[in-house]
Amino acid sequence: MPMKGRFPIRRTLEFLQKGETVFKKSVQIMTVNYNTHGDLSEGARKFVFFNIPQIQYKNPWVQIMMFKNMTPSPFLRFYLDDGEQVLVDVEGKDYKEITNHVKMILGKSDKVLEAEALAKMELSNPANFGPKKYFLRECFSEVEGQVPHPGFVPLPKEMTGKYRAKLAAGSDE
Amino acid sequence: MLRALSRSPAPVVSLLSPRAAVLVETVRGRKSRTDPKAKSKLGRIKTPPPVDPGEMVVLKQRYTEYSLILRALRLEFKEQMLRKKYEEEVGSVAEERAKREEEEHRSLMALNDAENLRMREIREQRMQQEAEAAELKKRDADILRQQELENYIKEKERHILLLQEEAKDFITPENLDQRIEEALDNPKNYNFAIDKEGRVVKRTAFQR
Repeated sequence: MPMKGRFPIRRTLEFLQKGETVFKKSVQIMTVNYNTHGDLSEGARKFVFFNIPQIQYKNPWVQIMMFKNMTPSPFLRFYLDDGEQVLVDVEGKDYKEITNHVKMILGKSDKVLEAEALAKMELSNPANFGPKKYFLRECFSEVEGQVPHPGFVPLPKEMTGKYRAKLAAGSDE
Repeated sequence: MLRALSRSPAPVVSLLSPRAAVLVETVRGRKSRTDPKAKSKLGRIKTPPPVDPGEMVVLKQRYTEYSLILRALRLEFKEQMLRKKYEEEVGSVAEERAKREEEEHRSLMALNDAENLRMREIREQRMQQEAEAAELKKRDADILRQQELENYIKEKERHILLLQEEAKDFITPENLDQRIEEALDNPKNYNFAIDKEGRVVKRTAFQR
């Protein structure tokens, strides 16, 4: 399948998962106003081109809207839960600076993210067995090194019950 | 033993009867309702396992004690967990967390505002410089335009003066007769050549 678009790497999972900005729960809408021409809007354009897909991937429930050529200078606007609007001026900034700034003011900090990841891990204990949908393994025979299920691999004759019974009966006689 | 039993207040039947087995709803298994009994099981009489009454009494008491203790422990732990969860979500811990988060949010917003202010200063300076440059350019263009206008007017005036000079030699109805006589009196000979340096050569080779 041919690659689509100018920088098809933007469509890869690896690139999307590299995004670090996870917004706080209070952020509902993000709006980007920028211009298609002009030096001062260059950073904003690059931000929209490269970083917006990453942000949307990490925050699927945040609505992101882009407006082109509506104002002379570019800016970002965030609309929070309680009606507060946060304005971020972006004129002349580099796209990396913009990402860092946004992450600092409205993103979850590294500590919080780690705590959340830990809590999520605690829910799925690998020591539990059950349906494949919820747990890793269903039966202990699926673990490497254990006796496999006789349904898939027949047991060696010495371990079967009827052979042992025959032996016992033979030795009794 | 029976006398000891009759002294205890609990009814005898419950003491003697074995513990209720685990409730299992009748499961059909492999055979359906209409299948006949297996040949090897035709004469089978199912008897429950034998029960020793003395042992049963003691066991029952012990089991009730044991299950009581275990159930108490289990409920105790459950209550602890629930309390912790409640505190986390609704109680004091949650309130402190909310307050802390609000403070952080406010400080971050202050940071953002400071940043915006800084950008605003820079932008205003830049706009000012651009305005000044535009003003200068406009003034220069004005001056240029003015000069062009003046040049144009001068040129036109020169043309008018030239024309005025030439008007003196024009042929009017009054001069007509006089000019005709003059022209007839002075015939002009245009039959001459001119070389690159501008020297006039009156001698002609070919003459009709």
